[in-house]
Amino acid sequence: MPDLPPQQDDPIVSRPLNGLILISAFLLLLTVAWSLYSEFFGLRPWRSYQNRFRSVYATYLQKQIAQRRAAEQTLYATPDYQKLEAAVKTAGNAALPADRQISEQIDLLDRQRAILTPPFQDGRGRVGALTYQLEQIPERDKSAKASKLKQLNDAKAVTYALNWPTANGTKLRQFNYDDLNNTFTAIMTEKAALVSKRGDQDKSAKDAQAALDTFVKERLPGLGSTDLQGLLNSVSGMDIKLKQINVNPPGTLINYVGGVGLVDRCQSCHVATDPLLVPAVMTLTRADLGVAQDNDAPFTSHPDPDLLKFHPQEKFGCSPCHGGNGRALDTVERAHGRYEHWLWPLYYAANYDAGCQQCHAADAITEHAPVLNRGKELFREKGCIGCHKFQGFDNQDDLLTATRQQITLLESDRKSDEDEIPRLNKLGDQASDNTVANNFYQQAQNLTVTIASMDSQEEQLELKSHDLLQEIKKVGPDLKEVRMKIHKEWIPYWLEHTHEWRPTTKMPQFRLQPDEVQAIAAFIWQSALTGPALPKQTPGNAMHGKELLESRGCLGCHSVGEGSNTMGGTFAANLSRVGEKDNYDYLVRWVHNPRERTRPYSPFEKRDLGPEDYAKHGMPFVFDLAHSRSPNDGHELVVQQPTVMPSLRLSIEDSRDIASYLIALKRPDAHFDPADFMDDPKLKDKGKALVQFYGCAGCHEIAGLEDEGRVGTELTNEGSKPIERLDFALFTEDAKRGIEPDGKKTTRGPWYDLKGFFEHKLANPAVYDIGKYKPNPLDRLRMPRPNVNGDDIDAITTMLLGSTDASLPPDYMYKPADDRAGIQKGWWIVTKYNCMGCHQIDIGQKSVLMGLPMYQGEDKINLPPVLTSEGARVNPEWLKNFLANPALSTTDLNRDGVRSYLQVRMPTFFFSDDEIRTLVLFFEALSHQAEPFIPQKVEPLSTTEAGMARALFTSTAAPCLKCHATGEPAHDKNATAPNFLLAKDRLRPAWTGRWITNPQLIIPGTAMPSGLFRRENDHWVFSGPIPENMRTYSGDHADLLVRYMFTLTPEEQRLLLGRTTTTTARGN
Amino acid sequence: MLGDWHQLWEIVSAPDNVPIVALLFLVPFYVWYAFRQARANDELIEKLEADPAAAKTAHRKTQPYHPKWDREVHTWPYLMRVEFVAAILVTVLLMVWSLTLNAPLEEPSNPNVTMNPAKAPWYFLGLQEMLVYFDPWIAGVVMPTLIIIGLMCIPYIDANPLGNGYYTYKQRRFAIWTFSLGFIGLWVVMISIGTFIRGPGWMWFWPTSTWDAERVEYAVNRNLDTIPGVVTGGLFQINGSWVAHLLPTANRDYAPILARIIFGIFPVAIYFMVASYAVYLVMNSTNFAQRIFRRMTLLQIVTTDLLLVLMLALPVKILLRLIFRIKYIWVTPWFSI
Repeated sequence: MPDLPPQQDDPIVSRPLNGLILISAFLLLLTVAWSLYSEFFGLRPWRSYQNRFRSVYATYLQKQIAQRRAAEQTLYATPDYQKLEAAVKTAGNAALPADRQISEQIDLLDRQRAILTPPFQDGRGRVGALTYQLEQIPERDKSAKASKLKQLNDAKAVTYALNWPTANGTKLRQFNYDDLNNTFTAIMTEKAALVSKRGDQDKSAKDAQAALDTFVKERLPGLGSTDLQGLLNSVSGMDIKLKQINVNPPGTLINYVGGVGLVDRCQSCHVATDPLLVPAVMTLTRADLGVAQDNDAPFTSHPDPDLLKFHPQEKFGCSPCHGGNGRALDTVERAHGRYEHWLWPLYYAANYDAGCQQCHAADAITEHAPVLNRGKELFREKGCIGCHKFQGFDNQDDLLTATRQQITLLESDRKSDEDEIPRLNKLGDQASDNTVANNFYQQAQNLTVTIASMDSQEEQLELKSHDLLQEIKKVGPDLKEVRMKIHKEWIPYWLEHTHEWRPTTKMPQFRLQPDEVQAIAAFIWQSALTGPALPKQTPGNAMHGKELLESRGCLGCHSVGEGSNTMGGTFAANLSRVGEKDNYDYLVRWVHNPRERTRPYSPFEKRDLGPEDYAKHGMPFVFDLAHSRSPNDGHELVVQQPTVMPSLRLSIEDSRDIASYLIALKRPDAHFDPADFMDDPKLKDKGKALVQFYGCAGCHEIAGLEDEGRVGTELTNEGSKPIERLDFALFTEDAKRGIEPDGKKTTRGPWYDLKGFFEHKLANPAVYDIGKYKPNPLDRLRMPRPNVNGDDIDAITTMLLGSTDASLPPDYMYKPADDRAGIQKGWWIVTKYNCMGCHQIDIGQKSVLMGLPMYQGEDKINLPPVLTSEGARVNPEWLKNFLANPALSTTDLNRDGVRSYLQVRMPTFFFSDDEIRTLVLFFEALSHQAEPFIPQKVEPLSTTEAGMARALFTSTAAPCLKCHATGEPAHDKNATAPNFLLAKDRLRPAWTGRWITNPQLIIPGTAMPSGLFRRENDHWVFSGPIPENMRTYSGDHADLLVRYMFTLTPEEQRLLLGRTTTTTARGN
Repeated sequence: MLGDWHQLWEIVSAPDNVPIVALLFLVPFYVWYAFRQARANDELIEKLEADPAAAKTAHRKTQPYHPKWDREVHTWPYLMRVEFVAAILVTVLLMVWSLTLNAPLEEPSNPNVTMNPAKAPWYFLGLQEMLVYFDPWIAGVVMPTLIIIGLMCIPYIDANPLGNGYYTYKQRRFAIWTFSLGFIGLWVVMISIGTFIRGPGWMWFWPTSTWDAERVEYAVNRNLDTIPGVVTGGLFQINGSWVAHLLPTANRDYAPILARIIFGIFPVAIYFMVASYAVYLVMNSTNFAQRIFRRMTLLQIVTTDLLLVLMLALPVKILLRLIFRIKYIWVTPWFSI
């Protein structure tokens, strides 16, 4: 025990705590101050954002107001404006006396009502209460009822004396209850009548004002200085407060958060997205506000206000499209949801369109979402779909499998029913009495009818599979034909050097060991067809072939040339090295008709049929869409190659010319090592296993593997896969810490998220194998490296990120039931066959051909037709026929049915019936045409009218036949527009009328002359010299011409042709 | 691989783990502080025992002490003002804590994905750690119940009248050791293990090694009755052939399992006997202890012994598991030990 000096006081009693208490109290005070700061600013950064926004926006508005005022003053000084303004004043003055009179009347009525109201309320209250009491007295209590009734009548009889206002001062008037009631109603009725009368009175003044407003609006679009001043006032007086959008769709959860719908407070910081502060007509950028360099100024308004029109903020908020934590406000990181525990982080700029995909998964093309559209295009074009199932994309193979199963099931049912019939009949024969016997016979009879109905069902299923077989397209070529098509040595080289040999190819680069390459090549080679042999072709004219290739439209899909010399579309293969690998004879057949097969494939027998199968049944070896049933079992066969490439209906000579040109396209030093191992039968089985393993049959038709499924994982909901389900392998920790596989720091920080996974996987699918010990190559990740660049990766990542398991309510999904459904379905077909390579379909969209050098300037008129108004232009019945047979002829195929004068040719796509239906509906819907189509009646022409119309038709001011084709070869040499004889079946009269009066409006830049007619007294009158016999005609000239065109006969046209001199002219 | 300081920082800086980091410092500090006071008091007691006169003048039995000081002081202001300062400082601490660290809220739970590691709140981590050594029935239900019953029993089995109201070690050596073993040695240590050592897959990661969810380790455990060599031949043959003879033919299939159950009883029983005797020895290890022991009734002795034996079972099992990779000693279809 320590010895303490005796004088020392007891520390418990004597030690002063003042200092300690002071410090503690000070600390407490400091902490309270801190918490107050945190409460008002630290946790509420939006306050300072709003403050700053208020000041920068006010400055901006002041500047705008000043500019606008100056502009307005200039405009106000113009005589036009002053004239209109004077008109407003005159009209206003004219209306003034009557207006004043009405106002006085209304004012009197208002005063009367004001006097009347208190006694009326008093009386009504009394009478109402007494009436209720009366009603409550039971019927049997007669005396009470009678006395209450008396009370009620007394109450009604009470009179009120009022100083009743009249036009000349007031006078005393007595009112009982009924008077009050009636007068009140009368006053209200009279006032309503007066108000509406005043409106009529003002009409001319209002019209004048509207004319003035329109005048100003046309010259000075945007907000006027008064509007801007109003904005400035509301901004200056803006409360600094939390702004939120609440959406509570009934019975649903948005983002599953909190279970009570959506609460988005994004506008608290992103102030300018509030339409009350920044109207949709303004788009505000940081540069406008003078804070362009400031990265902490979230003051831009929504850059695409059109999007907000379809997606109003009060229904969609912000976070359902953009992601992020709409409720969080304390830090940027939290609000944007970019932290571990928020499952819907804000999409990065490169992936904004992912938000669209959440609801627009069923669309091939989504307006305003170019990145997403590109992603979907790539997903199909690069063959991702060959391995990865994705709902909404082509699933004909699945449907076909289901259909086949149904057919098989139906057949076995039919068989068992057939067996049952004799048994039932026998039972009937043996029955003890007639009733029982009849019962059995009846059952047997019912079964025969059932069998008949099964037959019709099976017939439908066969038709369906016929359609489906026609629709199934593979991304890559048919490898059954490989022996006829390809030089043997090229195959193993290609497998190893895919992207080197053809840098633009769709085929991904597989990670193959040399022995795997050999085995795969050997299997492909040995399993391919060897005959019947192709006909030998003589060489063609390569120069002419080149001309054809460049003019027939091949370049809408294909490209030629390498590197910077590449010209043409990217939809199909680059043809510049075709000569190094292809056989000439095969190429001729392919160019002539790419759908032609060597042998038909029977899905039921699971083999390719040959001439011997047909011979057995005494049939010629002919198979095409019209002869698509198997001679052996009657089921549908695969009679075409599964390629989207259409037939251009070229003559065999032209095909040879093109093939000769293509076969000459090769590098002079092209050389491939001999590959004798490909004939080694020992390699075949190993090759087959590898081909199955790598999923080659997803993109290619391969003998023996026709029924292979997709080897990859389904990606329909990949965007909502929990991060734990994605294997970052040895990079898990690095991803969490923002370190790239190459050891460098990432720019965006940690990439342990779906975006990071997808991007790294797409750039190098083997990345998650790095560092892993996998001695057996088959244990490695098998995804091949797709041929994509950085933008492509962004696009595909965007698509995947948005492909979520509906985190939004079902009614947010874009699944229109009206004609837009036709548009939605149609885009899948349009993109599948690359219609947009040649045609402009969507307003503003450019086709591939439009960008090629041979279609510039004057030569634009050689382009295929613009289809933006196709649905309004043509008769859908005609369109159906045209799509099925663009030559519009069964005999003369080497031509274009409508625009025979164009070099570029509408090919035959061999669409299935279903595809044709979809396309027709698509065009109809795109042009807002009612469905089903009911043709518009065209009034027949009287003889006089016919004469007038003929004169107009052949008028020298509008020589229609100068440009339009007629079918006479001599004349058509110079034709640049379609034949009128087609009009009757092809066109819609209403569209034709609009077209001939103002074609520039429908297709800007068309060669069809505008201004042929002018508007006069509500109808169209010919602009040129009016023919003699029409001088007195009071009808519509354009209408007359349309009716004439729709009744034109070949004889008539031939007759007219003689009258019009044929000169070179161009028109559409 | 050690040396991943980033990982260590992530663990200790997680808002969830802040109380445990504090615990690591506060528990040793207060233990030291209490023992310092106890030691001083023990010295004072010794001195006063030696000097009966001084004992009569009587002083606070706390250190420091001076004869001139009052024997008692008033609660107000002398105690209250200290408590007031303490209250202010704790308030400051809690406010700063709540301002700087947000509540560790996570995403809405997804029933299809289990987080890895899935950890209980820090105060339950000891229980969760126990699940490694016992089956859920024992670790999750029986043991926690026993802990609570044991705590409730303390006033009734404590026969030592000394050491109330002041810190002392010498007078309550047994109680202090029991507490230190149970609370610090087991509870606090298990919480620390659960917090800092157990990573993904509840695998053992030494501090500063990376918590790699992909890690694969050899951690195959076996039940005592399956270890070759432990049970061979004779009566305890696990194939149960000897039990089969005793069973009706229809039930012969149950023989192996029955044999295992019967086998398991023996090691457990042996442990109970040995441990009880060891506890008995400890309770009589000194004269002082013997005096207390003699004051106890039979019920008190049996309860104390039983509770201590059960408590000791935990470290024993931990060692068996970690060193000998033994999963269960006694396996039955209903519970395992």
